[in-house]
Amino acid sequence: MEKREEMGVDSFQFGEEIQSLMSVVQPPEAGNSFTALLELPPNQAVKLLHSPEETTPNIFPSVFAVIETDNSLDTTSSIRPNSSPNNCNLVKQEPIDSYSLHNSSPMQSDPIISKSAKRKEREKKVKSSAKKSKNVADETDGEKLPYVHVRARRGQATDSHSLAERARREKINARMKLLQELVPGCNKISGTAMVLDEIINHVQCLQRQVEFLSMRLAAVHPSIDINLENMFSAESGSLMDCNFGGLVSSVDGQLNGSSHHQQQLWHTDALPPQPLWGGEEVTPNFITPENSLLSYDSSGNSGCLHTNQLKMEL
Amino acid sequence: MHTSSPLKKEFLKKWMEGLQICCSSKKQMNVLERKKKIKLSADIAMASAKKTPTSWSNALISYARRNEEYMILTDQLLGPESQFNLQKSTDRMIGFHKRVQCKKILKRRNTYSAGKRTKKKTGHPRLISATLIAKRLVKKRTKVLKRLVPGGESMDEFSLIKEALDYILSLKVQVDVMRSVVTATEILSNEKSLKSVE
Repeated sequence: MEKREEMGVDSFQFGEEIQSLMSVVQPPEAGNSFTALLELPPNQAVKLLHSPEETTPNIFPSVFAVIETDNSLDTTSSIRPNSSPNNCNLVKQEPIDSYSLHNSSPMQSDPIISKSAKRKEREKKVKSSAKKSKNVADETDGEKLPYVHVRARRGQATDSHSLAERARREKINARMKLLQELVPGCNKISGTAMVLDEIINHVQCLQRQVEFLSMRLAAVHPSIDINLENMFSAESGSLMDCNFGGLVSSVDGQLNGSSHHQQQLWHTDALPPQPLWGGEEVTPNFITPENSLLSYDSSGNSGCLHTNQLKMEL
Repeated sequence: MHTSSPLKKEFLKKWMEGLQICCSSKKQMNVLERKKKIKLSADIAMASAKKTPTSWSNALISYARRNEEYMILTDQLLGPESQFNLQKSTDRMIGFHKRVQCKKILKRRNTYSAGKRTKKKTGHPRLISATLIAKRLVKKRTKVLKRLVPGGESMDEFSLIKEALDYILSLKVQVDVMRSVVTATEILSNEKSLKSVE
């Protein structure tokens, strides 16, 4: 742990140290949801402690990044980071009263003092650290809390700028962890640059796939009537359901007269049921609803499909 | 499929609508044009299928709208009421972009002046250069990422990562849906050609 202090390197080690230091962490409040898809609550803000005097030898340990949430803390359950995407963010509270000059923190003191006591016990090294605190208004990420608590490590610059830098870095590292979990194969890589590399590769790969697929579709396209697309649009509701029985497609009534033409195409067709595409759950059901729709009465607008008829046709 | 299927449904629906609109034009297009239109409609469908419009989706749509020939398509696809939102969002984005650039200029100026005051980080000189190298690598990569994610230039690192996350997810959804559609149509066309041969 002694080697830690020489690092000015922003890396994940920093976060891990904090995690080990934290005796009690708090689950992140769902202030602003991360994305609609992920539903992750990355509500974190870091406080920078800023105090004018410095060299008093304190027993206080090296660095704490204190992440504070919007509302008051309720639970004191400890959260293992990286256990799930929802718990990537560390949240901890700390008594500001004794440390900072700013009193406007909404934190409770009693449970926190006990926390800090535990923290002190955990700390092996005794360092004199210069503490600074500062308000950092964080508007860029849209989160509400302005405060950032960070205590400067020994031998590090305690300028407010570098502290703000460090807070920023911590936030970025937390987000990078999320990204690591998303991109496959990224968990084992350490270091921001490598992870970013992987992410860039992944994005490029996906974009290229989109291009390639659209090219394929364009190549296939002239041989298929446009009205086929109408069929697809009609079934969009049912398409992505993996269960066959639950097909509820709100048919838009796009089945016009020319669909008869396709019915003849498909009626006697026995589509090869073997999966040509590997391992996609959607596709085995993909063709069959389409078949059912095509064999359906074009003038009908009902959304129910006859599954028995389908199976027989196949 | 761990991604949400309602999103897939939404995306598929919109994409099909877009394709319909594209293909309703009578003229014959060669493969490349078709491909472009397909891709465009897929992108727009993806961007508009999101429940909460994020920055990159707005950026995508605004980029698409800037191009004259695609504007009609996008407007038709999105519907009239979304146009107002888009206008607002594009204005906001332009303003935000400028604001971010000003902030960056100020920040750079401050760090130049502050750098003389702050003492260097103590440590082994080799480690210091390692830090610098690492920083340079990270900076390079964030630049690349900014170029990849639509609308990423006007964002700071932090929100860039968030946007990238979201973008990756939606790209995955897009690829899944497209792949299934493409393979299905390919099979259908094969069947059709086989039938016509007989």
